[in-house]
Amino acid sequence: MPEVMPDIERDEKSKPESAKEPGYLVICWNDPVNLMDYVTHVFQTVFGWQRPKAEFHMKQVHNLGKSVLTRESLEKAEHYVHQLQKYSLHATMERDE
Amino acid sequence: MKLLRVQKDHYIFRLGRQEKELFELMLWLYPVIPSAHEPLKKTPGTPDQSQRLLDEALSEQRKENKKQVEALLADKARYHESDKGIELTLTAGEIEWVLQVLNDVRVGNWLLLGSPEGHPRLLPDAETSPRVAAMEISGVFQMILLDAIEHSR
Repeated sequence: MPEVMPDIERDEKSKPESAKEPGYLVICWNDPVNLMDYVTHVFQTVFGWQRPKAEFHMKQVHNLGKSVLTRESLEKAEHYVHQLQKYSLHATMERDE
Repeated sequence: MKLLRVQKDHYIFRLGRQEKELFELMLWLYPVIPSAHEPLKKTPGTPDQSQRLLDEALSEQRKENKKQVEALLADKARYHESDKGIELTLTAGEIEWVLQVLNDVRVGNWLLLGSPEGHPRLLPDAETSPRVAAMEISGVFQMILLDAIEHSR
């Protein structure tokens, strides 16, 4: 009876996990009503960022009209969009082509 | 309203009598944003159920916030009167949902005003002034709470 060994050979042609899985961008959009300090606070709270990073993205939203906050799996992106909308921020997600 | 001190997880604020009434009025107005106002952007590959799940989650969140607001408004022991004014104690967790509630009042009134682009230059009239006032007052309380959090970091 032939001995059957598990296939443990590495598949060198496989792409890294991040390249195989479709990514979703979490985007926050500008509006003239949310306070800048509030937006910074929400970014710190939702993503656990330090204030400088949160302020950087807040300023991008304010000056450029939007900021891509993170690229995540579908499930995680939905989670973040929900968290941001819970704070009444205008957040959406888009597939990263 | 100003921050007096922070004791562990508790923030103690001092308010005047009118400030207390305004603060409670802002909470009482909640919720103002129409339900399912911000749709999850539909993109190819996004499951249809995403929007429904998000709507449900936000609806549950509003119900939970409303319950917490009602409990806060009914909790008279939360306030402590002194010669210098009224002291209000909020935990860090409570400040977090109070911020959400105040922002809902601010953004919701802005939406009901027609989402004016020039908000700071908006000239209120007899019809719009209550909404403009609610936006501004809730914004002032938000800034006080945000300053308190920043102060304690």
